[in-house]
Amino acid sequence: MPLFGELFVSELLKMPVLDPKGDELGKVKDFVVIKGDPLPRVSALILEEKKKRYCLEWENVGIFNKRIISSKVYSPRVEPYEPSDEILLIVRDIFDKQIVDADGAKVVRVNDVQLEGLRNDACVSGVDVGVRGILRRLGIENKSERFYEMLGKTLPRNIIRWSFIQPLEPRLSKLSLTIPRQMISELHPADIADIISNVTQEQGIAFFKGLDPDVAAEALPELSPDLQKSIIEDIDKDYASEVVERMEPDEAADLLADLEKDKAKELLDSIEDEDAQDIQELLAHEEDEAGGLMTNEFIAYPPELTIHDAIEKFKVDAHEAESVYYIYIVENEKLIGITTLKDMILHAPDLPLSEIMETKLKTVSPDTNQRVVAETISKYNLLAMPVVDDKGDLLGIVTIDDIVDILLPQSSWKKRRSV
Amino acid sequence: MSRWSRLLVFLSIIGPGIITASIDNDAGGITTYSVAGARYGYMLLWTLIPTTVALIVIQEMVARMGVVTGKGLSDLIRENYGVKTTFFMMIVLLVANFGTTIANFAGWAASMEIFGLSKYVMVPFGAFMIWLLVTRGSYRIVEIVLLIASMLYFGYVISGVMSEPDWGEVLQSALVPKAKLESEFIMLTIAIIGTTITPWMQFYLQSSIAEKGIKKENYKVSKLDVIIGCVMTDVISFFIIVTCATTLYPHGIRINEAKEAAISLAPFAGQYASALFAVCLANASILGAIVVPLATAYYICEALGWEAGVNKTFKEAPQFMWIYTALIAISALLVLIPNAPLVILMVMSSLLNGILLPFVLVFALLLVNNERIMGKYKNPKGYNYISWGTVVVLIILTAALLVMTLVPDMNKLIG
Repeated sequence: MPLFGELFVSELLKMPVLDPKGDELGKVKDFVVIKGDPLPRVSALILEEKKKRYCLEWENVGIFNKRIISSKVYSPRVEPYEPSDEILLIVRDIFDKQIVDADGAKVVRVNDVQLEGLRNDACVSGVDVGVRGILRRLGIENKSERFYEMLGKTLPRNIIRWSFIQPLEPRLSKLSLTIPRQMISELHPADIADIISNVTQEQGIAFFKGLDPDVAAEALPELSPDLQKSIIEDIDKDYASEVVERMEPDEAADLLADLEKDKAKELLDSIEDEDAQDIQELLAHEEDEAGGLMTNEFIAYPPELTIHDAIEKFKVDAHEAESVYYIYIVENEKLIGITTLKDMILHAPDLPLSEIMETKLKTVSPDTNQRVVAETISKYNLLAMPVVDDKGDLLGIVTIDDIVDILLPQSSWKKRRSV
Repeated sequence: MSRWSRLLVFLSIIGPGIITASIDNDAGGITTYSVAGARYGYMLLWTLIPTTVALIVIQEMVARMGVVTGKGLSDLIRENYGVKTTFFMMIVLLVANFGTTIANFAGWAASMEIFGLSKYVMVPFGAFMIWLLVTRGSYRIVEIVLLIASMLYFGYVISGVMSEPDWGEVLQSALVPKAKLESEFIMLTIAIIGTTITPWMQFYLQSSIAEKGIKKENYKVSKLDVIIGCVMTDVISFFIIVTCATTLYPHGIRINEAKEAAISLAPFAGQYASALFAVCLANASILGAIVVPLATAYYICEALGWEAGVNKTFKEAPQFMWIYTALIAISALLVLIPNAPLVILMVMSSLLNGILLPFVLVFALLLVNNERIMGKYKNPKGYNYISWGTVVVLIILTAALLVMTLVPDMNKLIG
């Protein structure tokens, strides 16, 4: 069974299913769904021919798209079949059902169900709860779309991912959300990235534009570099610079490195000087080396500062920095020691930092390969690794979260397919 | 259970049935009964008995569905018959109820004018008050207001008694069917039934029972609520006919609308009876203007799956509140615009209602017989004969009414 992109169930209903000879087995009437990991999957098609129903197992389905559905078996081999109440059918049991919020309030109805190809299966990936779904069911989606275009608007897409819906039981009378509706609109950046990766690029960009720049800045690095690039190139300059400004400097630098030179320069020019400078420094390094991984937002204090004063300063500086557990002790930009937040709090407040700092330092140089950085961090169980130049000046730090992405290459955005 | 706690349970459950049935006598209903009484005297009284039976049969099934499923009628239609059916039904119902709402505001304006109050002040005022009631009030408050308003209908009973009818003759006419082979007579007979059983009532009754969250074990009380409501509403219709039949019929006074009835009463039944009639008309109109938009908002939201309910705020149920608000605002506005084509709108609305009624009733019957939905509460076999019989008769009568309304109107248009 070949993979397909995304399909809506309503587009498939009443479609003729052809056997290898081209004879019609029947018309698509419904879909049997069974539990699957991570999403429920279609296990059979219910066909209807002359008021009789037949069951076509998923393994016997050949081509499956919105133009053609074919069967690998010939018509006499398909048995008449009457679906029982115990099995779950998309049209009979899921279509038109009420979706209630986690707290029981009615929110929307299932207007349509979205299927998505995953490995060799057709999985139930989401439910359409928007106007589009209704129009599609009425068979006037395209007409309405043109009408909206004439008005200079786009028909909104409104799909709830199946992962937000509680597992289904047979004979259900309604579907429930697993998390409050409010929270779906206040999603975690990683989930937002998930949504963007799962819709067409156009829709992803439209969705992205609607985000608050702070949220957008957190969600963007979670996307694949190609997608990041196309989004930044597509959105307008002011919004793009606002988003880049709010990104962590190391992530912003990675992004800019992927852009065309002119575009990157244009963006750098339009963002605040201080942020631009940080990014510029990072840009000078190769992406797969410590210099390319590091961020230059870290906390560094002079050795003579007392712990009391350091903690007061820390309360202000910690807002800005990505990683705050280590405090670096720097004299004329040269890294001379390191202490931790824990040590600062546990020692007498009148001591200077030089008294409590650790001077045996593990550092890397900017051209150290990322693999080596990862191994070092892992070996010494560190949360961050200082990067120093050959004079011993502190340039930046590589934090554990940037390293995790290298150690687990399959874990983050790479797993997300973009359509 | 002690007698008192039983009474408390009873009081907490009654409401939806009585309210729904009462509002049946909205501006349009009162007009029909007044015209019938003035034109044919007591002769049409007997039709009220079969009408009451039909009303009880239908309302009971709908109430039962509300109690058993906890869902509204359009919820069930959408879930079982899909988007297309529901969508077109909702659009037709929206237009039909829009017309009914206008008729009620027109009735309110007319009754206010009897008292010399300007409609340009009273219509916006009335519209604002009922808007406030539903959007700011809770279900319980709305229900109490509606129940009290339903009691005010007894004004018609009083004005009926004040008209001093010949009770013997009244009773005889009520029990012995009489008919005249005249198109106007047949039309009025059907109109009485048609104005009593309407599509929106079924939706409103089931939704309000669902919103009230009445439990299955209290279904008997709910059934009583429905029966009391249906009997009450027809007792009131009875007295409206009696009032007009006693005072206007012997003098050969023909009327076309309820307002004329109120005015014509004064010389024969006295100033008080006339005023009472007008107050009741105002009350009925405003009640209809609350409930019909409310019913509309309920079923549209249910069909599309949005949150609905008087207990909700604008934030919790925005679509519900906006549909209600828009219906009231636009209807009130249309009544105030001079020369707006109100009559055409109202005729169209009653036509659409007539077209819809068979569908609504057939869907209701199919749903109430669906074991997947109703379980052991589905219609018993014997009861099904009665209910299908009722529905078939109603469908035939409505079809006849449709033809009769349509044809003379076309004649007028041609002539």
